[in-house]
Amino acid sequence: MQIDGVTIADTFAEAFTMRAARVVITAKNARWARQAATTMTGFATSVIGCKCEAGIERELPEHETLDGRPGVSVLLLTIDKDSLPQRLIERLGQTVLTCPTTACFDGLPDAPDRLRVGKALRVFGDGFQASKVIGGRRYWRIPVMEGEFLVAETFGMQKGVGGGNFLILAEDADSALAAAEAAVEAMSQHPGVILPFPGGVARSGTKVGSKRYANMIATTNDAFSPTLRAITESELPDGVNSVLEIVLDGLDVPSIEAAMRAGIQAACRPGVRAISAGNYGGKLGPHHFPLRRILGAAAPA
Amino acid sequence: MSDQVVLTLRAPLAHRLEADAIVPDRFPALGARAIAALPVWYSGRPAALGDFFTVTGERSERVLVQGDLAWAVGLGAGMVGGELVIEGAAGRDAGAAMAGGVIEIRGTAGDNAGGALPGASRGMTGGEIVIRGTAGVDTGARMRRGLIAVTGDAGQGTGRGMIAGTVVIFGAAGSGTGRWIKRGSIVSFGALVRPASFRYACTYRPPHIRLLLRYLATRHSLPVTESQIAGRYHRYSGDLAELGKGEILEWAGA
Repeated sequence: MQIDGVTIADTFAEAFTMRAARVVITAKNARWARQAATTMTGFATSVIGCKCEAGIERELPEHETLDGRPGVSVLLLTIDKDSLPQRLIERLGQTVLTCPTTACFDGLPDAPDRLRVGKALRVFGDGFQASKVIGGRRYWRIPVMEGEFLVAETFGMQKGVGGGNFLILAEDADSALAAAEAAVEAMSQHPGVILPFPGGVARSGTKVGSKRYANMIATTNDAFSPTLRAITESELPDGVNSVLEIVLDGLDVPSIEAAMRAGIQAACRPGVRAISAGNYGGKLGPHHFPLRRILGAAAPA
Repeated sequence: MSDQVVLTLRAPLAHRLEADAIVPDRFPALGARAIAALPVWYSGRPAALGDFFTVTGERSERVLVQGDLAWAVGLGAGMVGGELVIEGAAGRDAGAAMAGGVIEIRGTAGDNAGGALPGASRGMTGGEIVIRGTAGVDTGARMRRGLIAVTGDAGQGTGRGMIAGTVVIFGAAGSGTGRWIKRGSIVSFGALVRPASFRYACTYRPPHIRLLLRYLATRHSLPVTESQIAGRYHRYSGDLAELGKGEILEWAGA
């Protein structure tokens, strides 16, 4: 299968079930909402080293937020449901509560699993905090030097999907980066999906474990590392000299598939030889995303 | 089961009608005849609801009451859910001690709306009361939780002794408003004479007011302006003769 001369490998991306929360941050203007969201989602590329994965889902216009201010929707995912509330408490407490003019709302109000994040954060108010029930939902008003920080008492938690991915195999680093940028641009319009790596792109894909260091749970993906082509079991086709990976997390499988479809199609451009994907033989993750099936679903009859 | 139960007053009331049987959350289990048979007291004598109202519909927790009910006492008192719309004036104790649901009064509300029943330490503990008109004295007195919005003026002692909750007054507030509150918010857009035991804290844009007023505008179609939603408010803490964790928020313009 080829798209614009780019080979689509007959393989699949393998992803895992995670636990997800959606946080809606509003602020006086889009700049400060974006600032809070950017800070909150910093150092959240991979659960391997960051304990969670987070990213900006999309920016929200005034009419889509509860308080009528510009907002940003953030997704945060963890491997297990026990750690999700703690990650939220840490990050909201350190990055959103501290950011001027922000307020923080639950983006999954219908999720039955509730995490008492705002209720935990309220104690920052040292007894001066106050709650308000508005429209059947409780919010906490936490006094701060600027004025007040408003935060929802609970946030919804639902199952999510982490680790959707595809690899851009290109003739050179510039072509790989240009294709990755085009993919990210195309995928950023899709709700329910985040790209947790810097700018949505990872240059250091991993394999499970290590061939040399017993304490490493993930090490460089030597099979796709061009500089190791001659000394390892390389999976790189001839002419490929640089590979970049797009990693996706999302709220459900259809969202991941739709974003992958858009991203791969955008990445098929001059200088790209093939699109592949990372998997573990299908034995670890319950969610499989066969590239050709995903793209075939969008192809004209 | 019908979409709503409509109670239409047959003739104007001349005496006090104890109407605390009109509680929407009880109506889903009742047919029209059972609703008409609900006990009331009129001028101190026992009677049935059907003696005064025509009952249309059954088994619904949405109840519309039509007529001038200024003599009807305790409409929706103690309700825990459902929706009660009063198309006209309501007598005293409407929504007293309610714990949930919504009461909308499209007219004047009598005294003690959302307040406490005689001898009780707490007024309403949840739910919402929207009064599209003026409210009597002691509106929301001793309320523990919930929301009361008054589009017109509110009487003396509004929110008196509040434990928590929110009262929004779009008109003028009577004397003694907020006196002895422990927690809770009184939001004022009209003239208000603060008790001396409130102290000025700051002028700011409370983030929860944005949420609250937008909610009132969308859920209850109250005529809230953008300058009120995004406006500045003087915050007065009180009652300092009590716990002091309550507040009066006076709108200070855009």
